Amino acid sequence: MEQYQHQLDGIFQALADPTRRAVIGRLGKGPASVGALAEPFDMALPSFMKHIHMLEQSGLIRTSKLGRVRTCALEAARLAAVGGWLSAQQQIWESRTDRLEQFVTDKEQGK
Amino acid sequence: MTETLNPELDLEITRVIKAPRAAVWAAWTDPARFAKWWVPAPEVCRIVRMEVRPGGAMVTEIAASEGAAFGPHMSACYLEVVEGQRIVFTNALTGGWRPAEQPFMTAVITLAEHDLGTAYRALVMHKSPADRTMHQELGFYDGWGTVTAQLAALVETGR
Repeated sequence: MEQYQHQLDGIFQALADPTRRAVIGRLGKGPASVGALAEPFDMALPSFMKHIHMLEQSGLIRTSKLGRVRTCALEAARLAAVGGWLSAQQQIWESRTDRLEQFVTDKEQGK
Repeated sequence: MTETLNPELDLEITRVIKAPRAAVWAAWTDPARFAKWWVPAPEVCRIVRMEVRPGGAMVTEIAASEGAAFGPHMSACYLEVVEGQRIVFTNALTGGWRPAEQPFMTAVITLAEHDLGTAYRALVMHKSPADRTMHQELGFYDGWGTVTAQLAALVETGR
């Protein structure tokens, strides 16, 4: 049980920072290299790497190194799992409603 | 019929959609339109049956991407249909009122007129899954739902 509490703390901490939230947002579009992720930020690489490490430790992202390039990807299962089944369902229905809304409003604009 | 929300088992989404009620209704009842928003890209879905009347079947299949093999997604039964206003369906039954193997949810979709378009509401009621008690003991619920929803929004919009 303590282990779960610890994990939750890590996730909240990871999300408490705007840089880290931006990284998560970017990774929502697909995996990216650390270099590409760091680009929009006016920040030295070692500082940026601290954010990446924190996200990785929280389990929200995973990274893998191929040659000299470290690639980051979102751990989607983790996002759903930590919230419990109801949050996962909520997420599914929110996204579903977003798509419905987009579908019917786009269609209207097209007329 | 009215339904009550159990915060531990149910979820509710209310939203004003800036489109006419008829357009939202069509998106829910016309298979070709329904298929365009029911699952997130790159997944694709196929509407096997969509008999929008009480006792009618609603069966969808899903594939990981265009060209991939389809597998089961949703098999449900419409319970109530009020043209342009309300759809109630459940996966506790399949078409023709037959009891389903794994009942899990009943959804109540309500559409109403609104100055800006349509007042949309989705109420989704769930059966308690086996792991619920464990999650509750761990205190997973307090405040966490909001964070997850925001996170999902963040991921979806890429902002």
